[in-house]
Amino acid sequence: MDAKPTHRPLVLVVDADARSASLLARLLYTDGYDTEVTTDGAAAVARLTRNPVPDAIVTDFHLAHADGLAVARYARSRGPLMLVFVVTGHPNALSSAAGPLDEPLHVLTKPLDYPDLLARLVAALGAPSRA
Amino acid sequence: MVETRFDELKRYVRFGADDARALLAFRAVAEPHFVRIAREFYERIREHEEAHAVFTGEEQIERLQRSMVRWMGRVLSGTYDEAYFEETRKIGRVHVRVGLPQRYMFTAMALMRVSLEDVAEKEAGAAAKVVRTALTRILDLELAMMLESYREDLAEQARRRDEFEAQSLRSDLARTLLLHEAALDASPSLIVGIDPRGMIRLFNRAAQTITGYALEDVFGAPFVELLVADAARPKDAALVASLLAGTLTQLADESLLKTRSGKVRDVRWSFTRTDDGGPEDIVLFANGEDVTDTRAASRQAHQHEKLAALGTLAAGLAHEIRNPLNGAQLHVAFLRRALEKKLPEPELLEAAGVVGDEIKRLARLVSEFLDFARPSALTNKRVVVQALVTRTLELTGPLAAQAGIVIVADVPPQELVIVADGGKLEQVLLNVVQNAIDALSPGGSGRIVVRVRRHPRDVVVEIEDDGPGLPSPNAPVFDAFFSTKPTGTGLGLAITHRIVTDHGGTVGVESRPGRTCFRFTLPIGNESAALEGESA
Repeated sequence: MDAKPTHRPLVLVVDADARSASLLARLLYTDGYDTEVTTDGAAAVARLTRNPVPDAIVTDFHLAHADGLAVARYARSRGPLMLVFVVTGHPNALSSAAGPLDEPLHVLTKPLDYPDLLARLVAALGAPSRA
Repeated sequence: MVETRFDELKRYVRFGADDARALLAFRAVAEPHFVRIAREFYERIREHEEAHAVFTGEEQIERLQRSMVRWMGRVLSGTYDEAYFEETRKIGRVHVRVGLPQRYMFTAMALMRVSLEDVAEKEAGAAAKVVRTALTRILDLELAMMLESYREDLAEQARRRDEFEAQSLRSDLARTLLLHEAALDASPSLIVGIDPRGMIRLFNRAAQTITGYALEDVFGAPFVELLVADAARPKDAALVASLLAGTLTQLADESLLKTRSGKVRDVRWSFTRTDDGGPEDIVLFANGEDVTDTRAASRQAHQHEKLAALGTLAAGLAHEIRNPLNGAQLHVAFLRRALEKKLPEPELLEAAGVVGDEIKRLARLVSEFLDFARPSALTNKRVVVQALVTRTLELTGPLAAQAGIVIVADVPPQELVIVADGGKLEQVLLNVVQNAIDALSPGGSGRIVVRVRRHPRDVVVEIEDDGPGLPSPNAPVFDAFFSTKPTGTGLGLAITHRIVTDHGGTVGVESRPGRTCFRFTLPIGNESAALEGESA
């Protein structure tokens, strides 16, 4: 039997579209990640003030109260190595809004390619143990 | 027997049987160099505007290169008789006809001399000195004979001018007329006076500059036949006939002007019929405005406005489409996952796969549409055009070879440097070459030529294939959403058009079954100025 301790990294999913957000969380859960979901920027920032600090964030760019970049910046202040993906329908607008301090910024274009996202998470955080 | 002009000149430079033999012997070693010399020769001309102006296109240049190879063979043929002399005069007359300035006749001969002497130095061994002397003699004889044609032309011009002046002076109003003529010459419009038989009797300076004809060339020549391009000739012939007959007195007409070198320009004519006069008096004035450039500029300005509006629309649309696509894509991923686990029925999985693929296709369409409607700014750097071509061929070659298609590069030996966005131009080349491959693939064979030529102010790139051609020669291939391919988004060539025009260039296509040629030009421009503008 597998003797390794269970390793389930925590991913925070932030998306104003609650259905998409919970579906993404569900897919990630099946693939071995613990997940939490918020649907606006301010709630995401509030969640980040508490422990445990997530290992990764997948956030939409367009959000109420604080956009994806603001969430990313706050996340970095909590954990400088935190993996942050910003998902957007218009990557050019995002790149012009981002500054040099936002690097490295992982920008994903909608529609989100789930297998691609999963591969990046595994590459950065290691393979999780399945649920 | 009377000594001919040619014999007299041969005697003058002491061109004899020894020279003829030396040249014939030299031909054996020089012949392999002919094609290279001809090619270098025409590459050089591309850098000089007035010399280049006499060319009508690449096909003509290739033809001329072949006749230059024949000419070199003739110069080294060993036989220099009256037939030879006549042939040389014929070549001279062709140069006069196309309006090549005399100074280029001399400098061109210098180029040939240097090239051939260089070959003699390397290949003729001990005979090099004898060959050089013979070359000097025969090439100057060639020049002298060709220049005879210019002399004949000048004599003809002088005769026409005398006739013209004699006619002017017959009138008491000669002085007044001359003053009027000065006024006409100051006008930026083409002003042409036509007599009752439709012959040109007045031709102002603007007309001379724009058409490339001197007054002496056109005086007494028929207006319609000489100046109207084939496409517009039947219409204009009828209009001018009505004007001359007096059934019409005033008329505006958009037409196509044919220049001396055979180029076509857009001209807006306004014709005014005056009172009847004698058979050699002017009864019809044609006042023409060359609108070729303004038309192109206004077309471009209009296009820019359209694109700016489209860019705003595209950005909003992209957002509105990508959001729902995002939800759809996630749900498809979820469905597939569930199907794989619980109910591994291939049909259902395939159905989910089709939906996923369609979503990806829509997403690609949105990306390409954004690329077209709101492209990122150009990042200009020095770009070697040949390197772009090499890279395109590396990327497309293997795929083309699989489909039985040969791609060849036909580029000038000298490096062509422009200031441009290399990445975007590569996208252009890849796109057009890929289209050619797609057009040829069903046939299982074919040939694509990527040709680069330097013109005085531009680099011209042509991608030519021998495929079936476009469905119609006027197909709007550069319009967004026009596609002949089942899986195409119809944006590839629209993006191509956008990139090239953003560089200040032009794009065009010619197509008939068996030959389709996409051509785009890129301005060479001032390298340092362009780079400075970039950093400012």
